[in-house]
Amino acid sequence: MIKIENLKKIYHDNGLPVKALDNISLEFQKGEFTVIAGSSGSGKTTLLNLIGALDKPTEGKILFEGEDLSLKSKSQLAELRLYKLGFVFQAYNLIPVLTAIENVEFTMILMKIPEKERRERAYKILEELNVANLADKKPNEMSGGEQQRVAVARAIVTNPSVVLADEPTANLDSHTGSQLMDLMEKLNRDRDITFIFSTHDPIVIERGRRHITLRDGKVVSDTSKCLQ
Amino acid sequence: MIFLKIAWRNIWRNKKRSIIILISIVIGVIAIIFFEALSVGFVNQMVNNQIGIHTAHIQIHKNGFNEEKLIQNYLPNSSKILNELRQLNEIKHMSQRIISYGLITTAENSTGILIAGVIPEEEKNVTKISEFLIEGSYFLTNKKEILISKRLAKSMDLSIDDKVVLLASRVDGKVGSELFRVVGIFQTPNSVFDKSTIYITLVDAQEVFGLNNNISEIAIVSSNLNEVAKLKDKIAKIIGAEYEVLSYHDLIPTLVMQQEMTGNWMLIIYIIIGLAMIFGIINTFLMSVFERINEFGVLKAIGMNEQKLLLMIVYESLILGIIGAIVGSIFGLSLVVYFSKVGLNFALFSEGLSAWGIAAIIYPEIVFFSIIKAFLVVGSISLLASLYPALKALQLQPVKAIRYV
Repeated sequence: MIKIENLKKIYHDNGLPVKALDNISLEFQKGEFTVIAGSSGSGKTTLLNLIGALDKPTEGKILFEGEDLSLKSKSQLAELRLYKLGFVFQAYNLIPVLTAIENVEFTMILMKIPEKERRERAYKILEELNVANLADKKPNEMSGGEQQRVAVARAIVTNPSVVLADEPTANLDSHTGSQLMDLMEKLNRDRDITFIFSTHDPIVIERGRRHITLRDGKVVSDTSKCLQ
Repeated sequence: MIFLKIAWRNIWRNKKRSIIILISIVIGVIAIIFFEALSVGFVNQMVNNQIGIHTAHIQIHKNGFNEEKLIQNYLPNSSKILNELRQLNEIKHMSQRIISYGLITTAENSTGILIAGVIPEEEKNVTKISEFLIEGSYFLTNKKEILISKRLAKSMDLSIDDKVVLLASRVDGKVGSELFRVVGIFQTPNSVFDKSTIYITLVDAQEVFGLNNNISEIAIVSSNLNEVAKLKDKIAKIIGAEYEVLSYHDLIPTLVMQQEMTGNWMLIIYIIIGLAMIFGIINTFLMSVFERINEFGVLKAIGMNEQKLLLMIVYESLILGIIGAIVGSIFGLSLVVYFSKVGLNFALFSEGLSAWGIAAIIYPEIVFFSIIKAFLVVGSISLLASLYPALKALQLQPVKAIRYV
């Protein structure tokens, strides 16, 4: 589903080149529940951003469902993110001026889904994630855990192939973090959505069925639970 | 619709800032509407005064008269021309005149002046000179009465019932002189005119200049100010090439210049207001956009394309611009309506204004087109002001935008 070939990313920090990813090659299959772990600065968020077409690699390529992302225009990448990808961020990143249900509906508006259908779908997904009671609340009226659930709802409401979650539990307490992981495992199971996490939270690492460990921009291990 | 909703809610995220932008837009719109109304009032007053004091809409002379106003160039066959003109419906009023230079003297003083000999009743319909009398009265009889300006009265130490002598070169080349009694003192808003013009009756002027029953000028008021040029051409065709037919534009070329100058001043005012607004709005929008760069990054990440993002940011400024323009128009119009009734007193500048032929009190005139202009100016400024920060925000890669601090 996703094929990464010889991926390199070099940042420039005050003019000095910093290797964030160094010649990485990986493959992700549909339905995987993968955790990319590593210490801070290991390159896991960079890798997630590149997979999500939020950034451009310095070298190498990423094939998404066989298509080379580097050959796509800005608007094609925006379309890919809209239709194929879902994002869950560490800081939730809901649109502060919209209510929970409007936040969930937002991506469907971009997809031009009719109002009635999108309202129904948004409400249903909020119910599924046990936050339907927050439908009319704005992000600043919700707790961190609640906001992250709404963010997950926003990420999956469009039925994406892949959800990329960057440190999704970093701002949550362990109980809430655990609940969130239960939810995402369920979505992975029920909807066959591919999840790729970047984290150093043990709660997330423990739930992953495939573990990729990065160090200094290189893959140092890539193991799957079923193989163990 | 959702973008409008987001834009609307974003506006009110920082109420103080949005209100400051709104106030600056409202003040800008008020200024545009009010200055436009004031300038139109100024120009119209200038035109009406210049036309209404003496010039009228059209003047007819013998060819070449206007340049030197020599009495020998009096109007030949004036009765025939007058009869022809009386057939034209486009002519509202006419006044027969004798115009030429002369000397006004007292025992102590003398000065050169333009003598205007008029038929009092006809002249009343053509110019406002009778309305500008501040002392004495308009002609009581047709016998040796003179109207002088306050300015002239002051400089020659004259008052009502004083006697003056008018000296002028007669049509036969001799010097004519007659004794006149001051019956009225006038003051027009045009100081230059006041300095140099006196009125006597046509009969007396014919005697002073030895003109028998002749006249040197016909002043005409058209029934439609906007069709003066057409009427001028029509009259010229009817009366033939022996005569000069001049419109007020030909007679007062400085009027056109003054109109253009006022237009230029308005343009400068627009530019100043526009610049003040644009920098204020850009500054505020830059702050507003850059503190939300992360949000824009997220919107890009979840699949919003650049055009829609641009639209959303532009909507914010357009909404503010439209609200500001509506509120500004209401206040601006109210202000214009109020001052169009009571007038705006520029007594401090009355000397300068009178040189332009304008009274100290200017009445702004409502110009509905100025509201459209204000909307267009504010709309484009709001658009321009938001485009720069919006384009800046769009240039960032989503990942950089999300992490933007």
